[in-house]
Amino acid sequence: MQLAGDGDRVMARIGVDVGGTNTDLVLECAKGVFYHKVPTTLKNQSIGVVDGVRGICRIAGIDTAEVETIVHGTTTATNITIEHNGAECGMLTTEGFRDILHIGRHKRPYNFSLHFDVPWQSQPLVKRRNRIGIPERILPPTGAIDIPLDEDAVRAACALFRKRGITSIVIGFMFAFLNDAHERRAKEIVQEEIPGAYITLSTEVANVMREYERFSTAAMNSYVGPKTAFYLRDLEARLREAGVASKLRIMQSNGGLSTVEACARRPVRILMSGPAGGVIGGAAEGAMTGVNSLITVDIGGTSADISTIPNGLIKIMNPRETYVAGQPVLTPMIDLVTIGAGGGSVAYIDQAGGFHVGPRSAGSEPGPACYGRGGTEPTVTDAQIVLGRLDPDMALGGDLKLDAALSWAAIEEKIARPLGLTVIEAALGIIRIINNNMVLAIRSNSVARGIDPRDFSIMPFGGAGPLHGVALAEAMAAKDVIVPVAPGITAAVGLLKTDLRYEHTESVIVELTHADAAGIARINAAAATLQAHVRAELDSDGIPPAQQSVTLVAECRYHGQGFELRAQMPDGAVTADNLRGVIDSFHDQHHLDYGYSYRTAEVELITLRAIGKASIPRIEIPRVGVADGTPPTRALMFTRPTTFDDGRTLDTPRFDRTRLLCGDRIEGPAILHQHNATTLIPPGYVAETLEYGNTRIRAIGA
Amino acid sequence: MNKAHRDAAIVDPITLQVIRGSFETIAEEMGHVLYRMSFSSIIRESQDLGAGLFDTDFNTLCESESTPMHSGSIPGYLRGIAQTLEDDEWYEGDVVVHNHPYYGASHTPDLAIVVPVYFQGRLVGYAGNTAHHVDIGAATPGLIIDVPDVFAEGMLFAGTKLYRKGEPNRAMWNYIRRNSRAAGQLVSDIEAQVASARLGARRFVELLEKYGEVTVFTASRMLMDYAERITRQRISEIPDGDYTAEGWLDDDGRNRDRPLKVKVTLRVRGDEVEVDLTGSADQTPTAYNVPFEGSTKVAAYAAFRKLLLDAATTDTRVPSNEGSFRPIKVTAPLGSIFNPKAPASAEARFTQCNRMIDLIIRALAPVMPEKIIAGSSASISFAAYSGVRPSGDYWVFLEVNEGAYGGRPRSDGPDSIDNLMANTRNNPLEDLAMHIPMICDRYELRDDVPPGAGAFRGGIGVVKSQRVLTPAFITHESERHTEAPWGIFGGHDGAVGRCTITNRNRPGEVRDMYSKFSGLEVVADDVMTYYSPNGGGYGNPLDRPAQKVLEDVLDGFCTVAQARTAYGVLVDPEAETVDMAATEALRQQMRSVG
Repeated sequence: MQLAGDGDRVMARIGVDVGGTNTDLVLECAKGVFYHKVPTTLKNQSIGVVDGVRGICRIAGIDTAEVETIVHGTTTATNITIEHNGAECGMLTTEGFRDILHIGRHKRPYNFSLHFDVPWQSQPLVKRRNRIGIPERILPPTGAIDIPLDEDAVRAACALFRKRGITSIVIGFMFAFLNDAHERRAKEIVQEEIPGAYITLSTEVANVMREYERFSTAAMNSYVGPKTAFYLRDLEARLREAGVASKLRIMQSNGGLSTVEACARRPVRILMSGPAGGVIGGAAEGAMTGVNSLITVDIGGTSADISTIPNGLIKIMNPRETYVAGQPVLTPMIDLVTIGAGGGSVAYIDQAGGFHVGPRSAGSEPGPACYGRGGTEPTVTDAQIVLGRLDPDMALGGDLKLDAALSWAAIEEKIARPLGLTVIEAALGIIRIINNNMVLAIRSNSVARGIDPRDFSIMPFGGAGPLHGVALAEAMAAKDVIVPVAPGITAAVGLLKTDLRYEHTESVIVELTHADAAGIARINAAAATLQAHVRAELDSDGIPPAQQSVTLVAECRYHGQGFELRAQMPDGAVTADNLRGVIDSFHDQHHLDYGYSYRTAEVELITLRAIGKASIPRIEIPRVGVADGTPPTRALMFTRPTTFDDGRTLDTPRFDRTRLLCGDRIEGPAILHQHNATTLIPPGYVAETLEYGNTRIRAIGA
Repeated sequence: MNKAHRDAAIVDPITLQVIRGSFETIAEEMGHVLYRMSFSSIIRESQDLGAGLFDTDFNTLCESESTPMHSGSIPGYLRGIAQTLEDDEWYEGDVVVHNHPYYGASHTPDLAIVVPVYFQGRLVGYAGNTAHHVDIGAATPGLIIDVPDVFAEGMLFAGTKLYRKGEPNRAMWNYIRRNSRAAGQLVSDIEAQVASARLGARRFVELLEKYGEVTVFTASRMLMDYAERITRQRISEIPDGDYTAEGWLDDDGRNRDRPLKVKVTLRVRGDEVEVDLTGSADQTPTAYNVPFEGSTKVAAYAAFRKLLLDAATTDTRVPSNEGSFRPIKVTAPLGSIFNPKAPASAEARFTQCNRMIDLIIRALAPVMPEKIIAGSSASISFAAYSGVRPSGDYWVFLEVNEGAYGGRPRSDGPDSIDNLMANTRNNPLEDLAMHIPMICDRYELRDDVPPGAGAFRGGIGVVKSQRVLTPAFITHESERHTEAPWGIFGGHDGAVGRCTITNRNRPGEVRDMYSKFSGLEVVADDVMTYYSPNGGGYGNPLDRPAQKVLEDVLDGFCTVAQARTAYGVLVDPEAETVDMAATEALRQQMRSVG
């Protein structure tokens, strides 16, 4: 180990991404870049993370104490919303309004349907029986108290919650964004009545006007909160026990990093944590390959995340349009779609004889039938085994032993026999259905938005991603397929490719066109507070002030409109003189977005946002050697039969992907093996190894 | 479309999907720009709007997924504009406003803004949108019911140019600004509509430049043929025959003792169907009539899209265009409530449309038991609140209140949700109270009467209490105070709607209101409470699992007493359990009686 001198340690950083099935790790240190993958320990994911951290340090030959930062992407919170197994929540709300969460915006999901589902009614975050109206009233527009909080009613509700064993409590009162006194007092009472309760105030998670969206955000926080907070804190404790003293940072939905404490209190900000790392990792791989327009398809064990990246630009959704599991959640998120389709997706026949795959997943415990951990339901992974696309003795480079006989038995019993198919036919059916589900989701994120997929490359990753890449590209008529260097680890690599990013907002409603000195003073005061918050977080990360960058954004609208757009703030304090610049930049932005501006209308500031960033060193991926033009027999491992989508079973050579050199070309049928992923090259396609060991697959002759 | 297009080779399936996706994106973008830019809550929050692109034959090329009442209505406007267009011809840079109900409009407050689209110097189509405006200077603020004729509806525009060759028609803008109680919002929102339409036109041209005129129009024709083909397939699955259903509307908003009949006859022949409204009431002397082109036909088409092409249960999403209308013929005698003669007023037309759809569903119940649902509230509550600020300016607020669905073959009817033709978003109560002198006192599920019991219960309607803080006027367009939503296949009927006026300072005094009233003067602290009808049940309540009934009781969807009398389930609400043995015995006994 080389020391940088004077007692400075070599900075080692680990990215660790926990999926529903596998935990992926990447470590960067002076010795290079190392990858590792361990099974996710579902009952307590932190066990797997700690094992993985120890393991990757061992592989890299460094001491765990040398790890300076661990950046973590987690699907813990997301999976709770997909599997509907969050906390049983109680809610205290204003009397007369207990059904705000049940009614929502009273708009149904489809215009033309009679048999639609209403997720906020069929899968409520808080059951109606546990939503209790409390006499209290805050008055608009000032926030004056009209009816004081009925503290006895709060205590009575707590008694009911105790009786029902409920300890996750949402407090959301009408007009609390004007005055949060009742929410804060109710919290104190709940803390007395239900010690240790997990409490979310609507004004803490989304201090904005619009009761349904604010309550829904708070309810989502409470729904995923207890399990997520337990997980994060437990992980931190276990890492300490294992001698890892590093800083633990969590990837947020907006693609920036945050701390464990902040995320344990506001898990609603990490609902897209796992997918965010994948999108950033995918975009970075695209940049390495010189491919700008990408559709990333991150296929894990439980779900697939799809994001369209035109011209290398990762898009952030407008917080007014962010939904998770059909419920509005007001937090900034990377623009992507998630569907319940992955290697662990369970194939089953419904009562009416319908053949489905997913969204339910077998996860890693019991996992697919072939894991031999007691799972008897067939999954997508079992189908891949039956088709000879996954080699049971090669999973995780042979670290994970799979039992093909169990895959055959499960598919035969649950699918083939009931439908009168052969096992191979049934397995092909499983793959066809799961691919079709993914294609529909890709369409919704690309073609349906006017993006022509023929200009885009499909980038499949996640351990199972490159098994599906060509089939998806074929169905979408995409340009080609780019397989990243370490597909099973791409999301983890993305964790080491992002900046520290902290955002704080404050509701500052000031009419700008005729703002007086008092109004300007309010803006400057809020700006100073927000900047201080952001800088304090960067300071605590040890970022020298000179490397910190803080941007202020004024979210404005014309008085009377409903949606804000971002206007530029001046570098220094706002003055009567430079205020005009803010207003003009809003007019310009309005014109840019909508093709029109109301130059004489009053412009209103609604929210001030401070975004603090500090760039951290990006992981450097080494290049591979260049091939000399001879066939890549050096990488040939063995040949086995594999069944392809057209039903043909062909003798298919397996190559060790890590031994391929830049310029190597392999024609299908072929399979590329590496520790963390398997790439399928069907007949008629050719795979070319690129500069960093990444691979481009396209139709022969295309 | 010229002959070359019709003869063109077919477009390959990938290009077809890409063009379809591009079209849909353009329509969505037009809709987004419109509601994001607009100032009145009926557009920016409720999204009571529609937007799309059209060819020169007035076929829909694409349409935003906004509210269904706007979907499919714009071609009617385009036909009306063709008859009334100022200058008798289009020029590049023109912008037209149109709302005349006897020239194809849906109803007068829904102004259409249309711009012609030119490609290589030729007119190739139109970009347009419709949006509901807060006030166009009608007899009463916001909404009207009890008025003598169409001229009381406010400003009537027919083929009127707001811009000619890119130059604003200042006299017309000035006229509009002087003839509305909410002129600021009206003018700004029209400007938003113009921006949205111009954006659509620009995108349309970009699409033509990218793929070529022949390919784009061939693709649109193929998409229409596809929609037609799939609709015909589905209609042909319905057994041939005549199916009828009828129901009664409360009154016309003036003549309280005269209920109005709605009669629907469906004639299914092969892959076509006729919706015949003969036998429905004569046209009314108030505004309670339905414009035939812009609303009656649109609602009838929508009924079949819901029944035959259910977006939630069919994998194949059918594009929104005229193709699916071609196999459906709509008939209503001239002079009837669904096809009034000028100069009858026809502004308050929504509840009749919703009831027509509900009765189409009922008529088909015997032959489509797995596709239909029990009776929904099938009404609407459309309320206009208004008043005069100390400055002398009016404030006007339009609110659409929700209903509930009937029980369904595989699930309960959704509660408190816009139903059938309505699909707006509610106004955030906090936003509302920050801007106008009103406050909401209650917004919950109705608990005064139960929904229709059934194996799958009816949906529960809303109860919403809005209090005015200053003297104000209210006009309320609603329905169904007399005939409850129907249960089916053993399900019980739902419950009728209700509307009351109370005052916060005089508890105990309750004024029960008719479902429609116009320009009612109210005083400070008066509260209008609206209870929407509860849906009917589907299937025998005794077939509902006892555990589900227990859950209903715990959640307050059902009382302990109703659990016993309607469902035969004995619930202990304290222990939160069901007495299974006693329940089984009671259900056996009820079955043998029933």
